[in-house]
Amino acid sequence: MDQSDLIKVTINGQDFQVAKGARLIDVCREKQFDIPSFCYYADLALQASCRMCLVRIEKMPKLQTSCTIICTDGMVVTTQSEEIQKAQRSMLEFLLANHPLDCPVCDRGGECELQEQTFDWGNLEERFTEKKNYHPEKFLSPMVANDPQRCILCKRCTRVCDEWMGEQAIEAGNRGANTVIGTYGGWLNCSQCGNCIEVCPTGTLLDGTYRHQHRPWELTQTVSTCTYCSDGCQLSLGSRGSEVVRIVARDRYVNGLNGEFLCVKGRFGHPFINHPDRIRTPLIRYQKGGKLIPATWDEALRFTAQRLSQIKQAHGANSIGVLGSPRLTNEALYSLRQLATGAIGTDNYAVADRFSLKPFFANLSGPLATHRDIRYAKTIVLIGGEPEELQPLTGKQIRQAVRNGNANLIIINSVRIRLCEQATQFIHIRPGSEDAAVLAFATGDNDELSAKKMGIDVSEIARARDTINQTQGDLVIMFGGEVSAASQMLIAQSPLGFAEGGPRTLLHPLPLYNNSVGAHDMLRDGKDAAALLQDESVRALILAGKPLLPAGSNGAEPEVNREFVVLWELFLSAVSEFERQVDVVLPAASFAEVDGTFTNNDGFVQRVRKAIEPVHQSKPDWLIAGQLANALGTDAALEASPSAIFREIGERVPGYSGLRYPLLKDESNPVQVKHETVSRRDLSNELAALRNAVEAMDETANKEQLTPGVGHELFKLGTLMEKTPQIHLLSAGNPKPDNILVSPLYQISIDANLKREAAA
Amino acid sequence: MSTDFTQIQPLYQPVNMPGEVAVFSPEVEAEIDRHLAKYPSQRSAILPLMFIVQRERGYLDPPGVSYLANRLSLRITDIWEVATFYSMLQTKPIGKYHIQVCKTLSCKIMGEGRITEHVSKKLGIKPGETTPDGKFSLSLVECLGSCGTAPMFQINFDYHENLTTEKVDQILDSLP
Amino acid sequence: MFIGAIGCEPLQLRRVHLEHSRSLDVYRRNGGYEAIKKVLDSMSPDDVINEVKKSSLRGRGGAGFPTGMKWSFVPKDSPKPKYVVCNADESEPGTFKDRYLMERDPHMLIEGMLIAAYALGARTNYIYTRGEYKYLIEIMDVALDEARAAGLLGEKILGSNFACDIYTHSGAGAYICGEETALLSSLEGFRGHPRMKPPFPAISGLYACPTVVNNVETLTAVPDIIKMGGEAYQKLGTEKSGGTKLWSVSGHVNQPGVYELPMGYDDMEKFIFEDCSGISNGKQLKAVIPGGSSVYIMRADQIIGKDVRMDYEGLVAGGSMVGSGGFIVMDETVDVFESTKNLTEFYKHESCGWCTPCREGTDWLVKIFKRIEAGDGREGDVQLFLDLCDNIEGKSFCPLGDAAAWPIQSAIKRFPEDFQKRMKN
Ligand SMILES: Cc1cc2nc3c(=O)[nH]c(=O)nc-3n(C[C@H](O)[C@H](O)[C@H](O)COP(=O)(O)O)c2cc1C
Ligand code: SF4
Ligand code: FES
Repeated sequence: MDQSDLIKVTINGQDFQVAKGARLIDVCREKQFDIPSFCYYADLALQASCRMCLVRIEKMPKLQTSCTIICTDGMVVTTQSEEIQKAQRSMLEFLLANHPLDCPVCDRGGECELQEQTFDWGNLEERFTEKKNYHPEKFLSPMVANDPQRCILCKRCTRVCDEWMGEQAIEAGNRGANTVIGTYGGWLNCSQCGNCIEVCPTGTLLDGTYRHQHRPWELTQTVSTCTYCSDGCQLSLGSRGSEVVRIVARDRYVNGLNGEFLCVKGRFGHPFINHPDRIRTPLIRYQKGGKLIPATWDEALRFTAQRLSQIKQAHGANSIGVLGSPRLTNEALYSLRQLATGAIGTDNYAVADRFSLKPFFANLSGPLATHRDIRYAKTIVLIGGEPEELQPLTGKQIRQAVRNGNANLIIINSVRIRLCEQATQFIHIRPGSEDAAVLAFATGDNDELSAKKMGIDVSEIARARDTINQTQGDLVIMFGGEVSAASQMLIAQSPLGFAEGGPRTLLHPLPLYNNSVGAHDMLRDGKDAAALLQDESVRALILAGKPLLPAGSNGAEPEVNREFVVLWELFLSAVSEFERQVDVVLPAASFAEVDGTFTNNDGFVQRVRKAIEPVHQSKPDWLIAGQLANALGTDAALEASPSAIFREIGERVPGYSGLRYPLLKDESNPVQVKHETVSRRDLSNELAALRNAVEAMDETANKEQLTPGVGHELFKLGTLMEKTPQIHLLSAGNPKPDNILVSPLYQISIDANLKREAAA
Repeated sequence: MSTDFTQIQPLYQPVNMPGEVAVFSPEVEAEIDRHLAKYPSQRSAILPLMFIVQRERGYLDPPGVSYLANRLSLRITDIWEVATFYSMLQTKPIGKYHIQVCKTLSCKIMGEGRITEHVSKKLGIKPGETTPDGKFSLSLVECLGSCGTAPMFQINFDYHENLTTEKVDQILDSLP
Repeated sequence: MFIGAIGCEPLQLRRVHLEHSRSLDVYRRNGGYEAIKKVLDSMSPDDVINEVKKSSLRGRGGAGFPTGMKWSFVPKDSPKPKYVVCNADESEPGTFKDRYLMERDPHMLIEGMLIAAYALGARTNYIYTRGEYKYLIEIMDVALDEARAAGLLGEKILGSNFACDIYTHSGAGAYICGEETALLSSLEGFRGHPRMKPPFPAISGLYACPTVVNNVETLTAVPDIIKMGGEAYQKLGTEKSGGTKLWSVSGHVNQPGVYELPMGYDDMEKFIFEDCSGISNGKQLKAVIPGGSSVYIMRADQIIGKDVRMDYEGLVAGGSMVGSGGFIVMDETVDVFESTKNLTEFYKHESCGWCTPCREGTDWLVKIFKRIEAGDGREGDVQLFLDLCDNIEGKSFCPLGDAAAWPIQSAIKRFPEDFQKRMKN
C-alpha cells in the first residue's frame, strides 16, 4: 500500500498506521481490541442502533459508535474505560430487560451472540423487576420459527432480506417498545432462503425444521460444499451420531465464498440424507420383466461384471456406454472415466448434464469470474438464465453489486426475471432469441437483424454497448443454458474483443449442477450425452446417477431401454421412473457420506467432507466405480481413497495440476482451477452458422410478460428436495395455516400430501 | 432509507396479495394523482394516499393495502411497516367518530381526566374501545398542539378546545 | 386565549388580528411579498444568507442552531437539486405557536420559504405538517393556490428568472418526525426513523440531495429580516440571539396564549405574574417547564426574584433551556412525580424504536413509574431512575433519548420530595 494512503490512529495509547477510509470498528477488531456489537454487519447498510460499539474519541462530544466512524488522521480512541464499560453493560441490560431469558429452552442457546456478549460485557445482577412485554412464539413460514420476545431489533434479518435477496419480505412493524419483526398478515411468503435465521444473533428467528431437537454443542460440525447448484456454497453439516440434523453457514463454523448466505435448498434440503427411502442394499433383476431382488454387493458386482463382459465380448467395448451425473464428486467422475477407458476400454462415456459447457471451455480465452469479482464488478451482462432461482448466490452477488457497488446490470432475457428489478437495462427479447443478442454483441454489424429477431429497438443494443464500453472496472458476462453451442464459443472468445487496457472481462457460465464444471473437466473428452443415449449400437449402460438429460425433453424420462443397465443412486423413486429398464441398482452414498471435491462455476475446487458414515449398505461413488473395475478384472488401484484419486487428478487433469487435499483445507481461500485458455480462434464458420440460425428465427413469437413467481424453480419437488416435508407446503403456494402457533407441518399427512386446499 | 437514493420500482410482489384490490372513483383517483405529482419519488406519497384510503374505506383494510402496494409499486410489507409506525393510521376498523382526547401534560393538569371520564360514561366505552354501533371510538392521544386551550379533544380531524363537560355533551349530541 | 406581543412591536404576529388575515390581499396590503421582491430585484443568494447571518437568527424548532450558518453549509456547486423543507410537525408538548402562524398568516410562511429557496437554489420545497393539523394543510393549500395564481409560485416569479414551488405534505402521527432526519425519512415515504449524521441534511437530505430543514417560526422571521435588514432585526433581541421569539404559554396561568417577546426579555417572573396575569385560581406557582417538554423543569424559587432573562443564554443560566418555547406553568396542586410520569409516557409512546437505550429505557422507566404509582415504590427506585437516565442520555441515536432523560433528571433533582414521599421506607 502507498504510504500516503496510510493515516495514524491511536487506540488505547498505541499508535497504528491504518488505511485511509477504514472503519473504526474494523480497525479496532483487527488490532485485537475487542468491541461488542449486534447491528453492525459488514457489507450491509449501517444501522448504528444497538449502541453496543461505543468508544470515546478525543475532541468529540459524547461516546461515539465505532461502527459509524471512519478513521481520520491523528484520531485518538479509547475502547476500554469505566465509562465505556458502564455504557456497554447498560445496553445489554436494556436488551435483556424484556428478553425472556429462556436460554435453556432456546435452540440458539450455546451459539447465541446475545448470550456471549452478556458473558463478556454484561452485568451480573438483574435490576429489571417489572413485567416483561409478551409476544407469543409462532411460525412465520414452514421454514422460519419466530420468538419475537427474544428480538433485540438489530434488523440484520430485514437488511439481508432486502439487500441480499431483494425481497423485503420481512420488516419491522409498529413503533417504540412495540416494534416487532414481521410481515403483513403474519405469514412469510418469500424464497425461504432462511438467511434471516442465519444472521439472527439471538433465538428470535429459528430454523423451523430443526426446532427443539438438538442443542448446538451436541452436534458435530463438518464443513462441506453444497450439493445443489453450481455456486458451491460452503456450509456446515451438523450431525449427531449417524444423522445429519441441520445445515448452517454461520461464519463461526464456516467462512466460505458465500459468507452466511445459503438458499432454501442448501439450508433445508438435507433430510434426504437420512431418509428411510434411501436404497438399502444392491438390487438385481435377474431377468428382464422380473423383479428387483435384494442382493449382496459381491453378488451384484459379480452379476454386473459378468453381463458387461458378455456384451463387450459379443459387440466390442464401444457397445458399453458410461454416463456420469454432474452431481458426483470429481473423484467419483474420475474413477468412472478410468472405469470406462481402462477397465472397459470404451470411448462412449459422457457427462449427463442438461447444459453442456464443452463448446465454452474449448474456446475459453479469459478467466472465470469468481463470486467476489461479481460483487465488485462494474458492469454485468446476463444473457438468459435466472440466477435468483437457479444459482441463488450469484443472484445475491449481482444484486449487491448493483445496490452496494453501483454496478450496471444489463439483462437480456425473454422473461422479466426478478433480477430485472435491479437492472440498469433490461432487454426484453422474444423467447429463443438469445443467440441473436450474442450475434449482435459479437459482431457489431448485425444490429438491425438481431434487433428485429429479438423484437426490440436497435437503440437498445447501442445503449448496452455504450455501457459496456464505458465500464471502468470489471465486466462480467454471464450466460444461461439458453444459448447455443456457437454462441458459447463466441462468448468464450469475447474477452479478446476488448483492447489492452479496456475493461477486464470475466466470464461466468451458469451451469445447473453442483459439479457441472468439475464433471466437464473430468470427462472432458467424452461424448455428447444426448447422442450417446440415442446411439443404437450402445447395448449396455453404466449410469452413475440418474442421467439429468436431455435439454428440451421437458422433463421426459430418458430412454434407457438396453440389454443391460446398471445404475447407482440414492433413491428408488429415482429408479422407479425407468424401473423396468434397469437391471442392477446399487446404493450410492450421498455427499454427506463421502470425501471428495466439487468444482463450482467460479472454477473453485472445494472440499466435500464426510460428516457421517454411508447409510445402510451404500458406498461412495468413487468406490463403486473402482470395485466394478476390479470385478471386471483390472487391478488398477482405483479404490485407494479419495485423496489418492485426487492426487492422480492433480497429475493427469489439465488445470488441476499440483492440487492436493491439503491445499484445499481452508474454505475461506478457495483454489481456482487453471482452465486452459486459448488465443483467438477463427470462428467465421460458427459466426456464419449463427447468422443463418438467427436469420431463420421466428419473428412472430409473443414475449412472456409475467414475472415468474418466487420459488418456481427453488421449490420444485426434485428427488432430493422432496424429502424435506416442508417443501411440499412451499410448492403448494405456502398457504398460511389456521394456526401459526404450532408447526405448519400439521397440514401434511404422513404420505406428504397437503391435507387442505392451498389458500389463495 | 439508503443514503444514495435510487428510485427502485419493484416489479413483482413476493407476498401473496389479498385477492381483492380496492377500487376508487375517478375523483378520488384524480386526487391521488395530484398527490403523486408533488414528488419526484412515488413512495413519498404514501402517507397522503393512506389517509385517502382510510377516508374512503374506514381503515387500511386488506384491499386498500393491496391498492396502495399496486399504485405505489411497493411491496405489501412496505405498506405494512409504514402503516404500523404512525399512530393516525388505522389497521383495524374504527368508529365513525374517533374521539381523541389529549392526555399530555398541559391538558392533563387542566382537567383531561374529567373530560375522559365524562365521555367514557356518556358513551359507555373505555379509552381504546368502540361503541357497539360503531359510531364512536375513544382514544387517549399525545399532545395535539392545543395546550393553550386545554383541555381538548379532536373528533376525526376537528379540534374542540377549552372543553367543559357541558360543551362535550353539546358536541357529542350534535353529531349525526 | 391571548395572541400578541409584549415588550416590542409585534413582528411575527403583526397581522394575526386583522380581518381575513389569511388572504393574499390582506397580506399584500400589509407589507407582504415586499421582501421577496426586494430579494429578486437586488440581492444575490449570498446577500440573503449574509443578511440572515447578520440577524443572529437561531432555529426556533428547538435546537437553536444559527440559521444563516445552516444555510451556508449547502454546497453551491452540487449538481443535485436542493430542497427547503419547512418543519411544521409541531408535536413538542406545550408548543402551539406554529399552528397560529400558519392558521392566521400562511403567506408569511410562503414568503419566508421563497426567500430561503432563492438563497439555496431550491426549486421544489415542502411543508411537512403534522397529520393532526389537517385544517392547517387546507389553509396552506388555499394560500399556495392563491400565490400560484398571483405568479408568486411557479416559473418566472414576479417576472424574474426565479422558479420555485412549494407543496404541503402531511405526517400521520409521530413526534419523532419533528426530528429533521426522521422528517426526511417520513417525507420519502418510509418509517420515521432518524438517520445517521453525518451526512447532515445540508449535504445529503431529502432524496440524498442537499436540504435545509427549518421550523415555521424560523422561516416566517426571514421576510422581516430582509425588509428591515439583518442588523436591525438582531437589535430587537440580544447579540447572540436576534429578533423576537414566540412563547406558547399553557397550564395554570390566567391568560395562556402565544406571546411574542423580544429575545432577552428580562425577567420570567414578570412574564408569568404580569404579562400572563398570574397563576389561575389564586394558587401558588410551583414549577415551570419553559421550553417544551424536553427541557429541565424549574422550581418557583429558581424564577421568583432571580431575574431570569428569556433568551438562550439567560435560560441556560437560569437552569433550563429555550427549546421550542413551550412554556408550561404548574401550580401547587401539581405533583411533579405525576407530571414527570406523564411526560415519560409521552416519550415512550413516541420513541421510534430504532435504538436500544431509548426504546427499552423509556419502556422500563414507564413501568417503574406505574409501579410506584400503584404504591410499590422502593428504596432504590430514585437511584435506579437516575442511573437509567444516565444510561440513556448521550447514548441514544437521536436527541429524543436525551429529551426523555432530562425531565426525569431535573424533576428528581429539583423536586425530590415529590418522589421520596412515594417510596416505602
Ligand atoms: C425528538 C425531536 C423532535 C423535534 N420536533 C420538532 C418539531 O416538532 N418542530 C420543529 O420545528 N423542530 C423539531 N425538532 C428540531 C428539528 O430536529 C430541527 O432542529 C429543526 O427542525 C430545525 O429547524 P430550525 O433550525 O429552524 O429550528 C425536533 C428535534 C427532536 C430531536
Ligand atoms: S433515541 Fe433512538 S429510539 Fe429514540 S427516537 Fe431517537 S432513534 Fe428512535
Ligand atoms: S454496532 Fe454500532 S451501534 Fe450497533
